[in-house]
Amino acid sequence: MTDIRLFNKFDKLILPIILIILWYIICDVLILVPSYMFPGPVEVVNAFIKLLVSGKLFRDVIDTLYKVLFGLFLAAVVGISCGIILGWFKKLERLCTLIISVLRPIPPIAWIPFSILWFGIGTAPAVFIIFMGCVFPILVSTIDGVHRTKGVLIEAAQSFGASSTQMLTEVILPATVPYIVSGLKVGIGIALMCTISGEMIGSSSGIGYMILTSTNLFDTGSTVVGMLVIGLIGIIFDYIFTKIQEQIFW
Amino acid sequence: MTFEIKGVSKTYTSKKHGEKIYALQDINLTIETGKFVCFVGPSGCGKTTLLRLMEGFENPDEGTITDNGVLVTEPSSERGFIFQDYSLFPWLNVLDNVTFGLDIAGKPEEENKERAYKYLEAVGLKDFANKYPHELSGGMKQRVAIIRSIINDSKSLLMDEPFSALDVQTKHKLEEQLVNNWRGNDRTIIFVTHDVEEAAFLSDEIVVFSRRPGRIKKVFENNLPRPRDRSTYEFQDFVNEITKHIDESEDD
Repeated sequence: MTDIRLFNKFDKLILPIILIILWYIICDVLILVPSYMFPGPVEVVNAFIKLLVSGKLFRDVIDTLYKVLFGLFLAAVVGISCGIILGWFKKLERLCTLIISVLRPIPPIAWIPFSILWFGIGTAPAVFIIFMGCVFPILVSTIDGVHRTKGVLIEAAQSFGASSTQMLTEVILPATVPYIVSGLKVGIGIALMCTISGEMIGSSSGIGYMILTSTNLFDTGSTVVGMLVIGLIGIIFDYIFTKIQEQIFW
Repeated sequence: MTFEIKGVSKTYTSKKHGEKIYALQDINLTIETGKFVCFVGPSGCGKTTLLRLMEGFENPDEGTITDNGVLVTEPSSERGFIFQDYSLFPWLNVLDNVTFGLDIAGKPEEENKERAYKYLEAVGLKDFANKYPHELSGGMKQRVAIIRSIINDSKSLLMDEPFSALDVQTKHKLEEQLVNNWRGNDRTIIFVTHDVEEAAFLSDEIVVFSRRPGRIKKVFENNLPRPRDRSTYEFQDFVNEITKHIDESEDD
């Protein structure tokens, strides 16, 4: 019994471990691929330790996270407030719907030229790109949540004499929370993607910048470290938002 | 009088053929203050539509509804409304649901809570004050919903088949609690149901509706002495008489 349980707990790890062993054999034992084309696990671990000890990795992770969260925060403030208002006032939504549908499919990376023109190099252009990438999924799922608010809840609040403002803050906003959270969950994935792309073009710091510069120096070990760190951050955020979603019972 | 309904009609446009369908046609009814009035009739007879018009969720196409002389155009805290599916706010616990109306009216929170506890205690739900709606049974939810409305001291209470989803025992218990609470004050209650026995047990007056178009067929005075006993012959005779009228209107 316990054997099976243990297996069930760790079965996700089996394939990755096999791949790492294969990777080790191909790159480090047989040396079938030169390390400037792709590094072996030994080199990656070495690069990881070097980056960790020098504090560079920590600085870059913090830098990237700061941009991600700042951009997401701005997108959330704008997306949620506009979403609640547009979802509630149907005429306003009709006015904006064409603009939203044209802007929404534009990949956030397409904003990079303007972001550099307007904000130069550094944190601001990255935050702008993240904002452009996240605001639409958050906006659209908030609007959707407002539309899906049960009519009886709105009518119940009306029968208690709720004003328009009270309706939005006391009924529509809480009813929309589950949709807002799933919008944020989609948003954070996009934010991470945008940050890395942004850092590779208009930036001088962060994991994206680290990936690009280390590759230029044929330090492919650091490149892979950067890539894996992004994946790890993605998993952590996904886990956090899944936990939040489990807390929401309505 | 509380409600005066004059010449009220409400039409819907059918989606299929685009033709006008009368949900209600030329309704005239006066409801005295403090009365317990039941609307009964087959499904689709417009009884719920009339109740919604009386709250002000919708407006009639023709005619007027006044509440204490004031034209009804929009929902008001003067008129509590109880929905069939409870409509508790799922993100608020029982206590916060009950104080919702008082809180948004800007009354002091501590007093609201004290009041809510008194009401909850009266229906045996004090220990559930911190539970959320999804943790309650149907009967508990509806009790919370009723308290949530009557705690606001609304002049009237409009109830749309509130007990129809409950089992018989719970239903009878809530009916008794409702009647006892109503007899303690002069609130007007309008109660929509398709259950004639329920109407006979609760009401002072029973308004029987016919359908297509929704019209008032007959208004019965219910003079059975209170407290009422469902097992007496008088009670059963009265139920049968009303049922007969509904069955006839079903044949239209």
